[in-house]
Amino acid sequence: MIGLEGVTIRFGERVIVETMSFSVPRGRSLAILGPNGRGKTTTLKAMLGFQALNAGRRLAPKIVGYVPQSASYSQRYRVLDVVIMGRAARLGLFRQPGPEDFAVARAALDKTGALRFESAYFDRLSGGERQLVLLARALATGSDVLVLDEPAAALDLANQHRLLALLGQLRAPRDRAIVFTTHDPNHALTVADDALLMMPGAHPLFGPVEEVLTPDNLERLYGVAMRLVDLTGPDGVLHRAVLPAFAGMKAA
Amino acid sequence: MRSHLPGASVVRTLTLAAAGLVFAHGAALADPIVFTDQEKREVRLEKPAERVVSIVIPMASTVVALDGGTKKLVGMNPTAKSAIVDGILGKIFPEAKDIPSDVTAPNFVPNVEALTAVNPDLVIQWGGRGEDIVKPITNAGLNTMLILYGTEELTREYMTLASRAIGRPERIGELVEWRDRVQKDIEAKAATIPDGKKPKVLYLQTALSSMMAAGTGGNYNDWYIKLVGGTNAAAELKGTVAVNKEQIAQWNPDIILLNAFEAKLGTDWVYSDPILSLTNAAQARKVYKLPLGGYRWDPPNQESPLTWMWLANLVQPEIFNYDLRTEMKTAYNTLYDYELADADIDSILWIDRQGDAAGYSRFKAK
Amino acid sequence: MVDALSERQPGAIQGAGLVRNTAIFAVLAACLVIALIIGIGAGRFSVAPLRVLELVWHGVVDPSRTLTGMDERIVLLVRAPRVLLAALAGAGLAICGAALQGVFRNPLVSPDILGISQGAAFGGALGIMLGIWGGPLIALVFSTGLAGLALVGFLSRIDGRSETVTVILSGLVVSSMFAAVVSLLQFVADPNTSLPAIVYWLMGSFASATWERFLTALPGLAGGLVLLWSLRFRLNLLSLEEAEARSLGVRTERERWLVFAAIAVIVGSQVAVSGIIGWVGIVIPHAARLVAGHDHRVLLPASALLGGAFMVVIDTLARTVTAAEIPLGVITALVGAPVFAVLLRRHYRERNSE
Repeated sequence: MIGLEGVTIRFGERVIVETMSFSVPRGRSLAILGPNGRGKTTTLKAMLGFQALNAGRRLAPKIVGYVPQSASYSQRYRVLDVVIMGRAARLGLFRQPGPEDFAVARAALDKTGALRFESAYFDRLSGGERQLVLLARALATGSDVLVLDEPAAALDLANQHRLLALLGQLRAPRDRAIVFTTHDPNHALTVADDALLMMPGAHPLFGPVEEVLTPDNLERLYGVAMRLVDLTGPDGVLHRAVLPAFAGMKAA
Repeated sequence: MRSHLPGASVVRTLTLAAAGLVFAHGAALADPIVFTDQEKREVRLEKPAERVVSIVIPMASTVVALDGGTKKLVGMNPTAKSAIVDGILGKIFPEAKDIPSDVTAPNFVPNVEALTAVNPDLVIQWGGRGEDIVKPITNAGLNTMLILYGTEELTREYMTLASRAIGRPERIGELVEWRDRVQKDIEAKAATIPDGKKPKVLYLQTALSSMMAAGTGGNYNDWYIKLVGGTNAAAELKGTVAVNKEQIAQWNPDIILLNAFEAKLGTDWVYSDPILSLTNAAQARKVYKLPLGGYRWDPPNQESPLTWMWLANLVQPEIFNYDLRTEMKTAYNTLYDYELADADIDSILWIDRQGDAAGYSRFKAK
Repeated sequence: MVDALSERQPGAIQGAGLVRNTAIFAVLAACLVIALIIGIGAGRFSVAPLRVLELVWHGVVDPSRTLTGMDERIVLLVRAPRVLLAALAGAGLAICGAALQGVFRNPLVSPDILGISQGAAFGGALGIMLGIWGGPLIALVFSTGLAGLALVGFLSRIDGRSETVTVILSGLVVSSMFAAVVSLLQFVADPNTSLPAIVYWLMGSFASATWERFLTALPGLAGGLVLLWSLRFRLNLLSLEEAEARSLGVRTERERWLVFAAIAVIVGSQVAVSGIIGWVGIVIPHAARLVAGHDHRVLLPASALLGGAFMVVIDTLARTVTAAEIPLGVITALVGAPVFAVLLRRHYRERNSE
């Protein structure tokens, strides 16, 4: 379980969020939605414990599987060496990772489909590949909470699709809490149970996706008119999607 | 080291006298004193200097010796003062402890405020070390005389110049004549020594924190080692540089000379060292710390002939047999008008610290 | 991004990496052993090579034996502690450099930046000037080195946390402060005795190495080496972005200072017995990175072995090339700077060509 309780965060005079409360129990996933500069990242940092709170408290396990938006290292590490770092909290100061830890790391890489480049240098990978490695590292921590910072922001459509499919797979067993930030409400519709909308005015809206992702709320969130549309997915099943009202070409 | 022939030195002195100045004893006090210092600068004094500051370390005690008292010395280097206060001069001239030593930092950078405060009419400073330590003095409008370190010839020359500057030219003839006589005497006796009979002598300028040995090349220690019939064990070095014990073992000196600068340094330092104690010098107990008389006997100063005689007796005991105690008494009488007691001599020569060294018994009181 | 998740050629398999690491360590260890053998065999006092080996053997099997001959004493009392001290100091400086470059995520930092070297230099200069030597001098040097580090720690700690950049800047401030005081001490030092000693000592030397000095420096050097070595996996984590490292359960602030403390102990002990020796902490980790890679679990021991071998070779040159001892700082700079330049160029050429 991870969440915030009655949290207020101010940057000087500016109030980012006020008495915000939400929680993500094991088995559910949360999408934090909003335009840039509305406090998505701040909320994420607060959940991870990297953000000083002006009021309220943070509910989180000791170790949270965290996937940063991007990572670049001054040192050149191999993929497996990056993933094995996820075991740090279990090893303590002086212990070195053993065969068991390597097994966990490989299993995590396998889960994200990145095992095939375990010996490659991390800095040689593409953005999408790095995301998979960092996700594997978060899994290798063994934490049942997974927090991803803008996981799809730097990905092209094909990779967005792969990532969402992977998140869907990770969500399916319902054995962990997953939190991610995104600016695209469709990602929330695809893989989130709940959504936190960073509404203007420092009072975010929290609730199940189907309840809070209404055209009205989204219009207030993004400042543009939004429409819910139904479309047929690749599997032939009907999907619900969100589009800005300005999208598309005017039909004759 | 042939350039140190006493003849050459005398000629040089005469040339200087002819070229530099016209000097009349006593009667012509009104005449200005004009001479060329060792950096080829003209020094002009309207009357003999009465208030002298020596930033040069050994020169302070030399000025005392030339004047026969401390009256004219109004400022000196702290390192010179420590030698005077700790050594015999402190006893002969107890008032020396009140002479200011704040006129310079120990590395010869003058303190102009302190300098002008003592109102000197002559400041003696090192030449050959750059303008930075000279300009502050000349800019303050003070009369400055620059001297050069290194050889016996230079030493005699600057002692001569200083004696004129302070209006005691009659003192220098005697002192230079003494240096010349002793040097010639040693040279004549040493000339018969075949090279195979010249022991290897090592002089350590510093020992305790790092070891620096005196090599060749304009080095006064090297010069007097050769003068008395020794060879410089560190002849392959140029100047005074750091060496290690293994190198000393390889040289295997027959005699080791320890400096008088490091107060805590004694011959035990050699005898207790696992490497140095196996050298010929230590095995034969021929390790000697240089005495501290009117000044430390290592560098050139007014007592240098005593250094040479002391060392000659130790390096070539079969050739030289100077009665050092008598020579010291005579010299101190001339230099400082002081009757040396036996206890004074013992303390200058470190009899209590190294009286049991080889060949040292002849320095003991009969 | 084109084929981001598509099949790609698998890299070197783990087994091959293990073989590679073993080979690297075998070669580096051999380098160190060869350097030690050459170091103990070479010197101004000539001892036949076979005699050297015989003496070393005697020294190993019967260390309490009384040594009477000059050659025995030279080999076992002068050269042996000297080469071992050089190896240990070189290993210590190199491992400190590797660790610091990781912690600061900056390949250009070296042990000098934490104020330790200059702090220790101040203690040494002060000690020499006051006429202190031996054990008390070492104690003084060590404590002023630690004081330098503590000062940097104090200055860089703002609101209970110290940022990397404030640590580097505080190190700079404290170092220049100590450097100024050292200059002042040189300014007032006696030109006939303490000044040359201070200058020489500031340039670094193992000339005064004895078994006592070796044993004095041993706990600090060996303890620091072992501490850093056991933190090798942790150093991988400390080289990550602050937030990332903390999310993985690293108490970055506390662990970074643990690394700094280990470095202070190593550098303080080294400076105390052999003065300031530059370049090793920056050149060796770079060279080690080129052969062993960036993973600190491999990089730290590789740096230590290479640093030890390098130092022994440099020191052997310092004491054998001429009758005079050449200050180590001069040789490490003369050898280190060009080697560094070559490594740097090759490194970036490789990078660009890929």
